[in-house]
Amino acid sequence: MPHKRLDDLSDPAIEVRKSMCYFCHTNCGVLAYVKDGEVLAVKGDPSHPVNKGGLCSRGNIALKHLNHPDRINRPLKRAGERGENKWETISWDQALDEIAERLAEIRDTYGAEAVATAGGTLRTDDWARRRFMNLYGSPNGFHNALLCWIPTFMIEAAISGWSPFVSDMANSRIAVIWGANPGASTLPSMRGITDLQKNGLKVIVIDPRFTETAAHADLWLPIRPGADLALALAWINVIISEKLYDAAFVRDWCVGFDELAQHVAQYTPEWAEPLTWLSADLIRTSARLYATNTPGNIQWGTALDQQGRPSGAGIQARAILRAITGNIDCPGGDLMPGPSEEYVVDEELEANEYLSEEQRAKQIGASTFKLCAWPGYRLIADIAKEKWGKAPTAEWMCEANAPAVFRAILTGEPYPVRALIVSATNPVSSYGNSLEVMQALKKVDFLVTCEYWMTTAALYSDYVLPIAGALERPIIHNSYGCSSSLIASQRAIEPLHERGTDYWFWQGLGLRLGQDEDLWPWDNEEEAYYYVVYPLGFDVEDYDEFVEVVGSYFPEPQYYRYRENGFTTRSGKVELYSSVLEELGYPPLPTYVGPVENEQDHPELAKEYPLVLSAGGGFMPFHHSEEFNVRELRYLRHEPYFEINPATAAALGIREGDWCWIETRRGRIRQRAGLTNGVHERVIVTQRGWWYPERGAKGDDPFGALESNTNVLTATDEDECDPISGTWANRGLLCRVYPCKKGGRP
Amino acid sequence: MTRFAMVMDTRRCIGCDSCTTACKVWNDLPLDLEFNPVVTDGPNGVYPHLHMVHLPLICMHCAESPCVHVCPTGASKCDDDGIVWVDEAKCIGCGACMAACPYDARHKDSASGVVMKCDFCKDRVRKRQEPHCVWTCHQRARIFGDLDDPTSDVARLVASVRTEQLFAEMGTDPQVFYIIGTGGQG
Repeated sequence: MPHKRLDDLSDPAIEVRKSMCYFCHTNCGVLAYVKDGEVLAVKGDPSHPVNKGGLCSRGNIALKHLNHPDRINRPLKRAGERGENKWETISWDQALDEIAERLAEIRDTYGAEAVATAGGTLRTDDWARRRFMNLYGSPNGFHNALLCWIPTFMIEAAISGWSPFVSDMANSRIAVIWGANPGASTLPSMRGITDLQKNGLKVIVIDPRFTETAAHADLWLPIRPGADLALALAWINVIISEKLYDAAFVRDWCVGFDELAQHVAQYTPEWAEPLTWLSADLIRTSARLYATNTPGNIQWGTALDQQGRPSGAGIQARAILRAITGNIDCPGGDLMPGPSEEYVVDEELEANEYLSEEQRAKQIGASTFKLCAWPGYRLIADIAKEKWGKAPTAEWMCEANAPAVFRAILTGEPYPVRALIVSATNPVSSYGNSLEVMQALKKVDFLVTCEYWMTTAALYSDYVLPIAGALERPIIHNSYGCSSSLIASQRAIEPLHERGTDYWFWQGLGLRLGQDEDLWPWDNEEEAYYYVVYPLGFDVEDYDEFVEVVGSYFPEPQYYRYRENGFTTRSGKVELYSSVLEELGYPPLPTYVGPVENEQDHPELAKEYPLVLSAGGGFMPFHHSEEFNVRELRYLRHEPYFEINPATAAALGIREGDWCWIETRRGRIRQRAGLTNGVHERVIVTQRGWWYPERGAKGDDPFGALESNTNVLTATDEDECDPISGTWANRGLLCRVYPCKKGGRP
Repeated sequence: MTRFAMVMDTRRCIGCDSCTTACKVWNDLPLDLEFNPVVTDGPNGVYPHLHMVHLPLICMHCAESPCVHVCPTGASKCDDDGIVWVDEAKCIGCGACMAACPYDARHKDSASGVVMKCDFCKDRVRKRQEPHCVWTCHQRARIFGDLDDPTSDVARLVASVRTEQLFAEMGTDPQVFYIIGTGGQG
């Protein structure tokens, strides 16, 4: 019967559980209506501080995800060749026993460092992964976290002691939305911006695309992809040369201002104009707009994290902009929460002290890309611990370099990596240079994947573990363990079928490998989370009651905390001239370096690949490579589209909807042409995440995971990565585009 | 009296399709059918001076509803509170209402043969709950309420802000009112 109503929820036997959505890490509050262990309905929780009842498309399909026919519901053991998609269903006990046995062998034969783990974005308790790896003895955990905030956090922590990532929006006069599109990625923050615009908030959007957010801005700066560093340097130049900076704050609370002023004198708006494709006038106007509308904030966006070589300096320059305008830790500025001093932070759960110096020194990529690995993390953590007795999370912030690990699998350098445990990611879709990643997954001796469904990584695995989703587990979100606030949710139902959680997986493996039971004292997430929130001192008996009664914890914003004890840096001030970066061997002042591929430095390449690619931005309704198999979302976007200016398309003989190849030096993919004057004539923007789960595990390209995958195009060679953080380049690459015409070249 | 109406604030809509999906999932609609698509107009203008508007569409619950007038069986109804809906038990799937609707708001379900449409979530709104598309909208771009209640948000907006009815010249008197504008003004 059509028109079935799901919303008669008046049955008194229905229990309402406070869950959270996990389809991006905004983590909107969700009310789950549960009866007899079945979730009947979900809807946005109007009392939740994040979403206030709203839910995007993804949030609305939670039940389709929970009960999806493609979900893997039992542990799988490979029964055929790798990739043959033949499986034997086994128990969790058998799977964990056998995986543990193999990991023990590898450790005995090659050393613990021969085991690496690849993570995705927040879906998991990665303090538990870290705990496992530390106790096992490997320093080689990693995520694609370098693409998402981690370089930002660590560089800002190096400069000012912690990342000032909490914008005090309600008191801001201006918001600079730099390389972010909350209008298609973090909808609750877009609502906040829209509301505040009514009260006079000014908004600048810096983005190569005319995005949903740019359409709502007072000023849009359509920057050349990857040229953000040049723009940031020119803004600093304008603000200093026109004396628009906060002289008192700079005098009292910054070091290195004179060196900075001298250093940026070269970076004039006229210098930046050909690099950014923004007129010198526009650069001046926008810099003045930000600097004279204090207090203001600069919103973090992934774009600066995703530019490879110039990323670190760009982030450094952005951090300096906040400081010299005095927009740091003040009402209406960017606030530094510091680690929570009131509850247990992730770092305290990680057992980092169990990883020996000898093993830390073996972290892959750490001698080249030092800041987001043990050499840099140690400096920042030591300073933080001295002040707070607490440190940033080591998981995420202190990791092996992902591209270097994939290369180690392929080349055996600096040493062979024999096993990879993949959790909450399909590296083929979500890491850079997918062709190389695919080779590595096929080559690695032993591959284990924790997943919701069959992906390319799972397909080539020896074991696949079925993982519980958002409704089947509780969640605590506290900005990768680096915020003083937290939001918490209940488990709506126990995991269905034989699904398990990642905590269960790591704990189970650890105990089987002889790790001390006392080091894994929590039987489940609720026990661990109760341990986390217990010091807050609420009168609750357990974690479930904590969520019921308290739910989320936001301490009152504190301003000017540095006035008591200084900033958490060696000098106690904001280090415009960074002693941490200098000690690690990097330029202490942000120094210009061009985008990974650009027409100035690589004129020959630019002849062959004349267009500039921006890859990796999010678009509704998908998140990364997720939900492409959820029909209720896929009907909104059946096929991949890239953005191209109509004039460029006409010159290339491309019409709306034509399948085209987009090619970089790494490889080529096909997407359909979406003609829009929302991009510059020389800019191409591809959609990320595309795969075709409906095609199944057949053929040369199972699930079509490479065919339209934007990461085939992205750049991860060592000299293309940011030397400071090691992040790789999705933005600012050179490409060419041509119609497919039956799959061949024109 | 109660007269249900909706205001669409295009100054706030970002075209995220949350309303489309919420409606589809809650009403368990067939895959090829949606009651409230969002269409995007733009970006228009000359680069880089552009503008873009998203238009959430839905049944307009016309006060002078042509679909009700043409229905041969009385399946298409307009209730006293202004909600236009289809009594599926009486619908013979003739499609006359679909032809009469200027807004393409009626759809035949290929499985059952009956015509389906948005009914403003009548079972909810009559219990003073919001329609799903309104509840789910992060941007608060959809505002629902009773136009006859001067204290309601819809009545207040329609009285104070310039709104447009789509194809008003056709005399259908739609009860969905659009605030047309660009972002940053709402």
